[in-house]
Amino acid sequence: MQQIEFDTKWTMVVDIDKCSGCGSCMVSCQAENNIAPMEDGSNKLKTLTWMLVYELNNGKEFPERESAYLPRPCMQCGNPACVPVCPVVATTKDEEGGIVSQIYPRCIGCRYCMAACPYHARYFGWFDPIWPEGMEKALSPNTSTRPRGVVEKCNFCHSRLMDARARARAEGMDPNKLPDGWYKPACLEACPTGAISFGDSKNPEHKVHDLIKDKNAFRLLESIGMDPQVYYISRRDWVREQSDNHLPKDKH
Amino acid sequence: MGIDRRTFIQLVTGGVVGSLFTPVIWKSLDDAAIWSQNWSWIPRLKYGQITEHATISKFGPSPCSLMVKSVAGSPYVAKGNAENEMSKGGVDAISAGGAQLLYSPSRVKGPMKKVADGKYESISWDDAEKMLSEKLSAVKGQAGKLAIVSGDATGTSSEVLSAFAAGMGSKDCYLMPGDEQAAAVALENMGGSGQIGYDLDNSDFVLLVGADAMNSWGSVVRNQRVYADKRPTGGDIESVYVYAGPFLNSTAAISDKWVPVAPGTGSIFSLGLAYHMLNAGASASVADFADFKTLVMSRFTPDKVEKAIGVAPGVMAGLAKQLMSASAPLVISGSEFGQGAGAVDIIAASALNMLLGRVGEQGGMKLLADLPLAVDAAASRAELSSRDFAGYLAAVATDKVKAPEVMMAYEANPVYAMPQATTMAAAIAKVPFLVSFSTWMDETASIADLIMPNPHSFERFDDAQTPYGVGTTMLSACAPVIEPLYNGKSTVDVILSVASGLGIDLGYESVEAVLQAKAEKAGADWDSLVEGVAYVSDSTESDSLKFAASVLSKAVTMPKGGEIALAPYAKLNVGSSTMAIPPLNCVTVSKFELQGKDLFVQINGKTAKKLNASEGSTVKLSGAGGECVARVHINEGVMNDVIAAPLGFGHTAWDEFSRGKGDNIAKILTVGTEPGTGMAVWTSSFVSVA
Amino acid sequence: MDRNLFPEGVTRCGLPKFSLWMAFVAIFFLWGAYAAVVIFANGIGVTGLDNYFGFGLWITFDLAVIALGAGAFFTGFLKYILKIDQLKNIVNLAVIIGFLCYSGAMLILTMDIGQPIRAWFGYWHPNVHSMLTEVIFCITCYCVVLLIEFIPLILEQKQLNKIPFVHHFAHHLHVNMALFAGIGTFLSTFHQGSLGGMYGVMFGRPYAFRDGFFIWPWTFFLFVLSAVGTGPIFTVLVCTLIEKMTGKKLVEYKVKALMGKIAGSMLCLYMFLKIIDTWAWATGYLPSVGLTFDEMFYGNIYGKWLMWVELGLCGLVPAIMMITPSIRKNPALLYTAGILACVGVSINRYVFTVQTIAIPVMPFDTWEFYAPNWAEWTTCGMIVAYGVLVLSLCYRYLPVFPSEIKLNSKQS
Repeated sequence: MQQIEFDTKWTMVVDIDKCSGCGSCMVSCQAENNIAPMEDGSNKLKTLTWMLVYELNNGKEFPERESAYLPRPCMQCGNPACVPVCPVVATTKDEEGGIVSQIYPRCIGCRYCMAACPYHARYFGWFDPIWPEGMEKALSPNTSTRPRGVVEKCNFCHSRLMDARARARAEGMDPNKLPDGWYKPACLEACPTGAISFGDSKNPEHKVHDLIKDKNAFRLLESIGMDPQVYYISRRDWVREQSDNHLPKDKH
Repeated sequence: MGIDRRTFIQLVTGGVVGSLFTPVIWKSLDDAAIWSQNWSWIPRLKYGQITEHATISKFGPSPCSLMVKSVAGSPYVAKGNAENEMSKGGVDAISAGGAQLLYSPSRVKGPMKKVADGKYESISWDDAEKMLSEKLSAVKGQAGKLAIVSGDATGTSSEVLSAFAAGMGSKDCYLMPGDEQAAAVALENMGGSGQIGYDLDNSDFVLLVGADAMNSWGSVVRNQRVYADKRPTGGDIESVYVYAGPFLNSTAAISDKWVPVAPGTGSIFSLGLAYHMLNAGASASVADFADFKTLVMSRFTPDKVEKAIGVAPGVMAGLAKQLMSASAPLVISGSEFGQGAGAVDIIAASALNMLLGRVGEQGGMKLLADLPLAVDAAASRAELSSRDFAGYLAAVATDKVKAPEVMMAYEANPVYAMPQATTMAAAIAKVPFLVSFSTWMDETASIADLIMPNPHSFERFDDAQTPYGVGTTMLSACAPVIEPLYNGKSTVDVILSVASGLGIDLGYESVEAVLQAKAEKAGADWDSLVEGVAYVSDSTESDSLKFAASVLSKAVTMPKGGEIALAPYAKLNVGSSTMAIPPLNCVTVSKFELQGKDLFVQINGKTAKKLNASEGSTVKLSGAGGECVARVHINEGVMNDVIAAPLGFGHTAWDEFSRGKGDNIAKILTVGTEPGTGMAVWTSSFVSVA
Repeated sequence: MDRNLFPEGVTRCGLPKFSLWMAFVAIFFLWGAYAAVVIFANGIGVTGLDNYFGFGLWITFDLAVIALGAGAFFTGFLKYILKIDQLKNIVNLAVIIGFLCYSGAMLILTMDIGQPIRAWFGYWHPNVHSMLTEVIFCITCYCVVLLIEFIPLILEQKQLNKIPFVHHFAHHLHVNMALFAGIGTFLSTFHQGSLGGMYGVMFGRPYAFRDGFFIWPWTFFLFVLSAVGTGPIFTVLVCTLIEKMTGKKLVEYKVKALMGKIAGSMLCLYMFLKIIDTWAWATGYLPSVGLTFDEMFYGNIYGKWLMWVELGLCGLVPAIMMITPSIRKNPALLYTAGILACVGVSINRYVFTVQTIAIPVMPFDTWEFYAPNWAEWTTCGMIVAYGVLVLSLCYRYLPVFPSEIKLNSKQS
């Protein structure tokens, strides 16, 4: 499939050096996107975490050890592995801005997209979502609830993009040229250490336009060519090195 | 009957085409597509007007100002309130799910009295207040018969409680343990007044000694915001952070440097740095400077310090040099888990700030003025903060002090959260009449004789003044975002009503009136407070302090060594001393801390070898007052001979999201007494491992 | 008792003995059916599948049985298109096995997909770029073709065939069988290939990703070849198993040996290409994305031994055995080679399904382990039991083996 080039490119930039792994983004994401609480949250292989914080370390022994936290939303790849494999067009990358959609009522739950995604950004509803009695009253109006048996994932809080565009139209502005900061995903709003930046990387007035050109900016698994729209920044060599696979001779 | 090829083909084709012309197939396929996305057991969304209201959440140890988004009046998501100086737009991992906590399965839905062990009966608020009044009238005017503990160190509600205790003739009104206690005692010993504050906002070099600023020390969310502002993404670092502690926690992970230091030895570390500064000519024109210098130069020489806490002289000298060459350095000391540190840790760190000339300076250590009291009979903040609840309970446990007849717990869960938890819980069990004002069915509520639930943070009036750690005096307040969902009643209202029945005049009719009066006395505008803007005052106290060298001399003892030290840590996503793992937070718990029901503690490979433990193996940890069972995770981010262990697990009450998960590390904390100040301390706990 | 229902001129065991056998197999069927009910009621969460292993035993099982069921289309192709007449004695069995494998795989898929009542979306909202769409099309169509091929055999049942309409209907199906065999060959080749293509196109998964010809990655062709290299010999193995269990001779050994020769030839071609493919992948593709061959394996469960067993013991060895006439003439050796080849292709489908997604591609990610649980094992068991039940009925009541009468009268 041919890669579509959009005029706007919603881009997330995560400053790994600032992430303290506090978990606020993960909690906020669940609240915004109506992910039901999971009693056994420790079984990471069955939980639904559209936003997941990985713990990284430099692999050295005490006292040389360093560690870092890496929040992982959906990468909204320019060349997604998941989209072409879906047999029923339940996931697409065809909207201005480049967010990879997931159409829950269309998904048949075959999980081929999950197998295809090396970032593990896609999750499957292994069970029906169950909220403790009454907690369904705290559901967010922004994301539809999903039955079990469909695949779901981060969509950069897409309904907030809709809201920002509606606001632009109401104020007589171009909905495809949103000012910086009008469209913010829930994780960004929740992040107390300001590790997450977000905007249109094709718009020079947006901060991320310059951030992705930072000398310490990188993306995960660039070598396999998925062209993610999520960038990371770290001053630490060992963190940058873990962003991709390197042959022993190419390592530092 | 014969059929030929033509008939055969006609039959097959006709059958297929014919069935396609009936609506049966199409209708059922269409229905199937609709059914599969509209199952009746999957909840629907509610739509309506989206509104935002400011509030303050008090789930964590430090208040957090929030903007709560509601749909048709129902809160659904909380974000930070950028207009508020107290938390500067940040949100912690508990508060982020505050809307969902409104419907926590653990909420107490109305007043209840105990009818048998573990069995409760709903009663009316009138009956509950009558019951409480009867018990209280029997002990009124008698010292030692009523004890009150509040887990809210910032709210004016604690003033009401302490004034009420005074009116009852009781001196036993306490705060739950926190770093502010050690700070208050330290300040008293250094001859200062007000409250110690740290102007992180304007510092360019921050040394955190023990203090886990991103998880448990001070105003965590505010610390995180300040850190973020000083280190803009893609920009230059404006403030260097160095963390000194036993464990590569997340504060250490995002600091520029981690200096491994044995747990609970912050004072030795600070004094070891003082040695190098004094050597380099640092001084301060303070009365006991000479005593201080003599003490440091004789007892905290580089080799002695290295032997005691494992930090090489070169590292110490380098760090001292960095501090002295920074333009606005700041040294902050505190417990690695937000409680149990001794006054000497603060005194020693303050000594460094004094040597660096940073007391009262911009970007330095400040002595903040207290806001005026709203309730005249209340204890001052400094007084209330310095009281020693752990020491009191320990004395009750050993019968050195007689157990009170009535104990009231407000925003506090002492049965679970006190150090040496088993001993302390036994002390509380001696109290004949225990009252819990908890919003949640926590460990204390579930053994209380009477439960009078306070509404959830989003359902009540509340305020917060100058949280410990911030650099300026401030006040925030909030009004309810949502009508109470259940039959809760503001504890302040309960106390005011009970007090007037007992003939104690606290001067107010309602919680709202108390908070408004507080705002007015502070000079703040109530309306703008409720809209979410914090009142900030730059009034400070005199910055002349002494080194308290005599206290240091008595209180700082060198560890014996050779033992396995416990390095507890507290992470907000797991909860706090008043909050068990919230439902949405289960997935945020690290797989290196909890797997299924198994708690994990962390040791490095060398220690593992010494203890004959390996990844995943089970160990039993024993402290003075109890034991815990945990499994081992090998983490090279832990010092030699140290076990890093997460607090916040092993709940026995609450709900399925926290109950029975892991073990409570507070059980193996060992409470000791700090020589020189006499306060209870527990940052230096040793454990035996089996 | 049910003698009148038997095919003309054959003997079968008594009904009580047969019933006992069927009851024994039915236990496994019902056990799996219970698991299926639990899965439909509570969700796929009751299985051992998880976020890392969205594909597991079920998909492995499906791919393996579809490969082994390839005997149907390939034998049909040789018999009806290339007119190798000897194969008429085994083609009925090949068709039945093919039908059982495909229908069984589809039954498993109804459990495996999260929204079975949306299964038809594959037709309604097809994504023409997806290999899986092609698989859905071809497998469902081919299953219908197999059914059509199977129906005349059912209609030839002695009593049914007495009805004139049925007789004529069956006759006409027979007359058109070459057409169906042709369609079947086309469909089956494509979906065998597409199943391989499914993995080959996953460019986010370095273990499976392959370059290829036009839109088809090399795995497309390798899967076709490995299926035709094992399907025929699997048919032979099943036939032999039925012979051992019933104590009768059903198919002449020279037909079996011919099937072995066909399978062996295809397997040789497959192994030749597979080894080149593996070499190119390990030395060309992997280094190009910063990975080494060693990094594709981990511990015992994901160890290299599995690959050596697949390519060596269960690949090259049976291929050589089956094309060597002297070995092929020895029944025991032919069957051994057949078993090895079937194990080899199953391992191949397993590693492409599970190892592919077990490998941590992000360097900070971890190897996770997958173990199918009771719900997956018993449902797969249910499908095997279903196959055994249907095959038992077919053997007892349908004229599956044209040469059975001749072979057994000669013996007596």
